Amino acid sequence: MTPGEWIFIGVITATMAGTLAAVLSGSLIYAMFGLVTAMFGMAGIYIYLNAPFLAMMQILIYVGAISILIAFAIMLAGPMYRRPKEWTTLAKFAAALAVALVSLLLLLKVVIGATHNASEAKPLVVTTQELGRIFLDRLTLPFELVSLLIVVSIIGAIMLALFSKGEK
Amino acid sequence: MTGNLLYNNLQLYLFIALFLLGCGLLGVIYRRTLIGMLISMELIMNGAGLNLVALNSFSAQGNAYGIAFTLFIMGIAAAEAAIALGIIIAVFRRFGHIEGGEIKEMKG
Repeated sequence: MTPGEWIFIGVITATMAGTLAAVLSGSLIYAMFGLVTAMFGMAGIYIYLNAPFLAMMQILIYVGAISILIAFAIMLAGPMYRRPKEWTTLAKFAAALAVALVSLLLLLKVVIGATHNASEAKPLVVTTQELGRIFLDRLTLPFELVSLLIVVSIIGAIMLALFSKGEK
Repeated sequence: MTGNLLYNNLQLYLFIALFLLGCGLLGVIYRRTLIGMLISMELIMNGAGLNLVALNSFSAQGNAYGIAFTLFIMGIAAAEAAIALGIIIAVFRRFGHIEGGEIKEMKG
C-alpha cells in the first residue's frame, strides 16, 4: 500500500461517514456538518480523479455557499424546541430503507458490470484552460442558460421570501 | 498510473456514487423537515456528479465534458438551494413549522 492509497481510504471514509451523519443524525445542524464533511471528502475524490479545478469549485460552492444557505435556513426556521423531531416512526424508516435498498440492488448489477480500459491510456489531467475553452466554445448555450437559471432563481427566492403571506 | 492501485479502479468510484444515491433516497423519504430533505437532495446531486467525473476520467479520456457537466450540476444545485431557502421561509411564515408531512393545504 502506497501512502496515496492510505490517503484515498481516509478520503472515502470521510465521505461515507459524513454522508451517514447527514442522513441519520437527529439534529439538523449536525446533519449540515455531516454534509460539509462529505463535501470535503468528495473534493478529495475529485483530486484523485485528476480534476483539481473541480475539487476547488466543490469546496467553494458546496462548502462555501450551499452549506451557508442551509445554515441560514436552519436559523430562520424557528427555535429548536418548536421543531419536530427528525426521527419518524419505525415503519416509515423501514419503508425508506426498503426503497433505498431495492434501488441500490437494481443499480448494483450495472456497477459490477462496468469495465474500463484505462491501463494503457495516459491519465487525463484537465487544465482550467481546456475547461474554459469547452465552456465558451462548445457548450456556450448551456453555460448561458445556467447563468440565466441562477439569476432567475435568486430573483425568485427574493420574491418568495419578501412577498409571502404571513400566518393564516 | 499502473493498473492495480486502489484509486485506479472505476467500480470503487461508482460504488461511492451509488452509496450517496442510496443515502440520499433514504433521507428524502424518511426525513420530516424540509431542510433535511434538501440536504439529502444535495447528496443525490453529488452522487450524479461523481458518476460523471469518474466515467469521464476512466472511459472517455481525451475530452472533459463530464467535468463540464458536473460544473453545470453544481450551478443547478446552487440555484435549487436558493429556491429551497425561499420556499422554506415562505412555508414557515404561513404554517409556523417546516414539517413536510403536515403541509396539507394544497393536498386536494
